[in-house]
Amino acid sequence: MFFLPTLAVEVILPFRAVLVLDLMGLFFLIWVLNLVRHNRLYVGYGVIFIAAILGTMVTLSVPQLLLGVTHLVGAIFPASALTLLALCFIVLMLLYVLSQLTLVSNRLAVLIQELAIERSRESAYATSRTNKRKDENSLR
Amino acid sequence: MSSTPPRVLVAVPAYNEEATIDKVVSRVRESMPDFDLLVVNDGSRDNTRRILENLGVVTATHLCNLGYARAIQTAIKYALACDYDTLITLDADGQHHPEQVLALYAESVSSGWDVLIGSRYVGSKDYSHSPLGRRVGMQLFSLLVKLASGQRIYDTSSGLKVMRRNVFEPLAQSLFVDFHAEAIVYLIRLGYRVGEFPITAAERMHGQSMYSLLSHFKYPLKTSLLVLLGLIEANLRRRRN
Repeated sequence: MFFLPTLAVEVILPFRAVLVLDLMGLFFLIWVLNLVRHNRLYVGYGVIFIAAILGTMVTLSVPQLLLGVTHLVGAIFPASALTLLALCFIVLMLLYVLSQLTLVSNRLAVLIQELAIERSRESAYATSRTNKRKDENSLR
Repeated sequence: MSSTPPRVLVAVPAYNEEATIDKVVSRVRESMPDFDLLVVNDGSRDNTRRILENLGVVTATHLCNLGYARAIQTAIKYALACDYDTLITLDADGQHHPEQVLALYAESVSSGWDVLIGSRYVGSKDYSHSPLGRRVGMQLFSLLVKLASGQRIYDTSSGLKVMRRNVFEPLAQSLFVDFHAEAIVYLIRLGYRVGEFPITAAERMHGQSMYSLLSHFKYPLKTSLLVLLGLIEANLRRRRN
């Protein structure tokens, strides 16, 4: 138990790796902002990505924070901790996106149903009026 | 005392049924002239829509295919909106004999069933004449319904049903993927009376069944999950009420 912090300090991410990852984060951040700006990504989803990217960049840039996260998830190496967190994020996002997709699909289905019902009611009304007129004409 | 006769709607969900829809519509019109007819055209890509227009039948057309359950739900919502007392659903593939529907309806009225299912198996209680896949499926779903609701239903996937007005609302609110075992369990657990009445059904002659090869594996799993969810939802709803 006692050797864990020492080992983690020894295997902390090198400066070059942090720099590359931060640059990648910056690229994703600009991409997400651009998507939101051009209305190609809903601002609510954009916020989730921006928070995740900024959180990752800060964690990578502050060694003590990275160590803290590594210990928190019970990993020995910071890279393993980051991979685990990334996997969790992907699963959560996938579930969230699929739930949103289901929600939109349900709304669309309800709209299609309502439209079909309204049109059929109009057609039923028109048919009944035509039949009534025919009956009246035949009585005359 | 009001002497107004009950308003009955016959709903036929149809998806790509150009080969049979005209015969089904004319047979329904001939055998049940006092009942209103609604065909739910579930986004058919063949000539079903044009045939229905020529027949002059009231049609609720889905702009795209939403599936069998949504088509039935549209019929229920329509019945609710137009104040019908009873809804009868039957398949558009010509498997059901509209002539038997009157007997089914009469039994539903006289015995006070909330939902009466036209059952292919309740008479003989024997599945041996069905193809292997259907036989196994029917027995499995029948067992599932028995376990979940305490009531044995022999034909859980029959498309021929008579529903009374009081079940329209619970059925219109929930989404049932196939409107079969899960809907039956849900209604029984809510305290509605669900029964079966023996009918005969012909084999499908035209068009495609909604069950593909993949769905033979997916459908039982999906239905089992939905039965469980239906059970939970019914218990929660009963507690809320």
